[in-house]
Amino acid sequence: MGFSAEGKRYLLPEEALYLMECGSLQVFYEDLALSIQDAYEIFLSSETVSLHQYQVFGHLKRLGYVVHRFDPSSLPSRYAQQLNLPQSGKNAGNQLKRKHDVSLTSTSAPSLSKTLVPTTDTMSADEHMKDESVDESVAMTSSESTADESSTTDSAVMVEPRKWWTSDIIEDKGSNHRNCSRSGWDFSSILFPDLGSKENLSGSLASPDPSLLPGALAVGVCDVASWRSKINQRKVKGSPEHRRRGVDNQRQGWHGKKDEEVQSCKNWTEFNDLMARHQHRRQDEQAEHLWNREVTPLHDPSQPLPTRELLDICSVIKPTCLLEGASRLKPAHEWRISFVVYQPDTASEFKKSKPRKPYTHVCVCGFDGPVPELQTVKLLTSQSGDVPVVFAVVDHGDVSFYTMKDFELPTDVFL
Amino acid sequence: MQAEFRAPRRRNRVQEDFEASLPVSHSSRKRAQLRAELINQHVLVCRPEDIQKIYSQGYFGKGILSKARPDHSISDQWEYHEGLLFPVISSSSYRELLQWARAFLSAQGWDNEAISQMMTNLSRPVQIEDVKKEVDGECPVVEGGVGPFTKRPRSEVNPKAKRSCSDPDSEHVVSGAGFVLVVFEEEVRELRRIPVPVTEYLQLSLEEAFFLVYGLGCLSVCLNQEPLSILQLWKTFRAQRPDFVCSYAAYHYFRCKGWVPKGGGGAKYGVDFMLYRKGPPFYHASYSVVVQPVNSEYKGTGTRPFTWRSLAALNRITTNVSKELLFCYVVFPANLSDAELESPQCLSRLKVQEVIVSRWISSRERAEQDDI
Repeated sequence: MGFSAEGKRYLLPEEALYLMECGSLQVFYEDLALSIQDAYEIFLSSETVSLHQYQVFGHLKRLGYVVHRFDPSSLPSRYAQQLNLPQSGKNAGNQLKRKHDVSLTSTSAPSLSKTLVPTTDTMSADEHMKDESVDESVAMTSSESTADESSTTDSAVMVEPRKWWTSDIIEDKGSNHRNCSRSGWDFSSILFPDLGSKENLSGSLASPDPSLLPGALAVGVCDVASWRSKINQRKVKGSPEHRRRGVDNQRQGWHGKKDEEVQSCKNWTEFNDLMARHQHRRQDEQAEHLWNREVTPLHDPSQPLPTRELLDICSVIKPTCLLEGASRLKPAHEWRISFVVYQPDTASEFKKSKPRKPYTHVCVCGFDGPVPELQTVKLLTSQSGDVPVVFAVVDHGDVSFYTMKDFELPTDVFL
Repeated sequence: MQAEFRAPRRRNRVQEDFEASLPVSHSSRKRAQLRAELINQHVLVCRPEDIQKIYSQGYFGKGILSKARPDHSISDQWEYHEGLLFPVISSSSYRELLQWARAFLSAQGWDNEAISQMMTNLSRPVQIEDVKKEVDGECPVVEGGVGPFTKRPRSEVNPKAKRSCSDPDSEHVVSGAGFVLVVFEEEVRELRRIPVPVTEYLQLSLEEAFFLVYGLGCLSVCLNQEPLSILQLWKTFRAQRPDFVCSYAAYHYFRCKGWVPKGGGGAKYGVDFMLYRKGPPFYHASYSVVVQPVNSEYKGTGTRPFTWRSLAALNRITTNVSKELLFCYVVFPANLSDAELESPQCLSRLKVQEVIVSRWISSRERAEQDDI
C-alpha cells in the first residue's frame, strides 16, 4: 500500500480511507483526528476517486486482491510487446505452475493404485457374468480362498461391505453351478408372453406351468383384453444403431424403384449411362426465376460441393475483432480503466517494484448508468493490452462484475 | 483477450440419425427444387417430401402443429385392427372433427341438405375391406391414416378447416383419405373415416427461407403460384420487417459457420435466437444470441437499448439454462447507400463482431487462480 516519495511514505486517499474503515489507521489534520464521515467527504472527490470507485476498491481489497490505480503508461508499448520482452513476473508465474505440477503428480499416484484394484475385480466379475446368464440370488456364502490383491484378503472374516459382492463372484464356477441347480430354473427356456405383439393373441393368457409356481398356488386364466387395449402400438423410432441394422432403404430411395434397371447394369460404365439417361429424362423445373436474373444464389445445387467448400462460398460476411478500428476511436472520459488488480499470492511476496502480470483491469460504472456500447468495449480493450477488462457495476454498495470478451465462433463441419 | 470456447453439451438420449447438414445433395447434379408458399406473410412448405428434406437436413423451420419436428398425427395412441395400423381417438374428439367438417362445408356455401347428406356419408361406419381397397390403390405401404413423418398416403392434399391462412385452391370435397378407430364405449372400437384430415405444414422463418433461396439455391418461394426472384423476395421481406438485413446477416453468418440458429428464443430465453451445434436433437443449445446493428463508429442505433438491470437479468437467465450469452454486432459501413441495401449483395460489405458477456464472481475464483 502507498508509495514513497522524497523520503516520506504516502498513502493514496482510497487506501487511507480503507485502512481507516478497517480500524488500523488514524488520520490527523491540523492535530485533529478525522472521523470517518470527514474522511469520506475529503478523500473522495472528483479529482481523486469517486464513491463508486472506492466501493469497488474496498470490495476487492477485502477479498484479498492487490489493487492499484491504473497507469496507462505502465503498459508495455506495442513495440515492446512485439519484441516479446521477458516480463519481470515470469518467475512467479513459473512458481505457480510448478505448484500445480506438484499437486498433479501427488494425486495421480494414489489414483493409479486405486484403479488397479477395481478393474481386475470387475474383469473377473464380467467373465463370470457372461458364462452364467443366470441372475442368481447371491447368498452370503463364505468365500473360498481368493487370490485377491485387495487389502482385505481375509476371507474367513466378514469382508468389507463394499467388497462383499466381488469376493462372492470370484468363487469358482463349481459353486455357481450348484447355485443354479438349487433354484432349478432355466430362464432361457421359460418364455414370457409378448402382450404387445402384432399378432392377434387371444384375449386371455393360459395359466402358467404349475412347476413354476411356488407351493400350492393355483392361477387361472388371465384376461388381458383390457391391458391390450391400453397398449399404444404406434411405431416409435428406434435408436440409430437399431435402425441401421434393420433394412433402411431411405438413403437408396430412388434406386430401389428402378431396381431392375440398376441390376441389369453389369459394370460402372453402364450404371453411369443409366444415371445420365435418368437425369435427361427427368423434367426438372428449371428455376429461371432464380438463375436468370441479376442476382443469383450463392451456390448452384447442380454443382455439388463438399460441405466445407460450400460453407466457404457462402461466407460473404466476414468476422471482425475488437481491436480492429479501435485506434481511431477517441477516448471518452466517463469510461476509463480505474484499477489494476493482481491476484493474491501468499507464497511469494508481492513486490511493488517488480509486479507480476496483472490479473485484470477494472472499469467502474454505476448501475443506473448505460451499458457500454461496442465502441466503449473496443476502446477499453485496446487500452488494456492483453489483460482482460472487467466492468464493475455498483448498485448502492453491491458490486457485480461483468466481462465482455472478444470471441469467434469456430467453424463446425460434418460430412 | 479472447473468450475461451466451451464444448457443446451433448443430449443424453439421441434418437435421431444425422442425415446432412444442409439440404443440398453432394453427388447428384440436378437442381431439384423445393417449393414453399408465401401465405399471409408466412413462408410455408406444403409438400410432404419437401418438408421431410428441409427439416431433416439442417433443421430448418418448425411444424405448425408440433413443437419442433412436424410429426403431428391425429392421435398418439395407435392400434392394430385386422392387420392395419390405425390411430385411436375418443368419441368426443370424433364429434369435434365432425363439427369442423360441418362448419367448413357451410362456410363454403353448401346448403343444409347437402351438408347433412355429406355428414351422414362421412360418419358411416367403414368396413375394413373399403380401407384396404383405398389404401392399396394409393401406395403399397400399408398404413391407415398417417402424415409425412408418419407415412401419410401420398394423395393427401386436403387442407384443414380450422386454420386461419386459407389455401388458395380449396375447391374440393372433404373426402378424407385417412381412417381412424373411434372409441364409442369401453373396449368398442369402430372404424371411421377422418372427417377433416389434418395436414401439417412446415413454417420457415424469413431468414431461413431466404438462406435456402439465396445461399443454397435449393428453394423457390411462390406467391399466388408465381415464383419470386431473389430481389423480389428481399424486397418483400425487408418491407415486412425493417431490421431484416441485420437479423439476416447474423443468421447467414452463423449458418456459414456450420451451426444451426433456431429462432423462437425470444419467448423462452429473451434473445433473438439460439445456436445449436449440428441440430437440436443432438446437442443442447450452446449460445443465446442477441443481434444488434451498429454503425461505422461502433455505436448502436438504439433500437434495443440495454440497461444494466436488463443485462443482468438476461445474463442470469442464460446462466441458469447453462448457455452463454453472445452479442452479435453487425457493423454497417458508413458509405452503405440505400440503393445498395436493396440487393442482398450488400451483405458482403457487412462485418460481424461477436462478444461474449459473462459475469465474473470475485470471491469464488480467488481460490482457483484461473484466468477470468
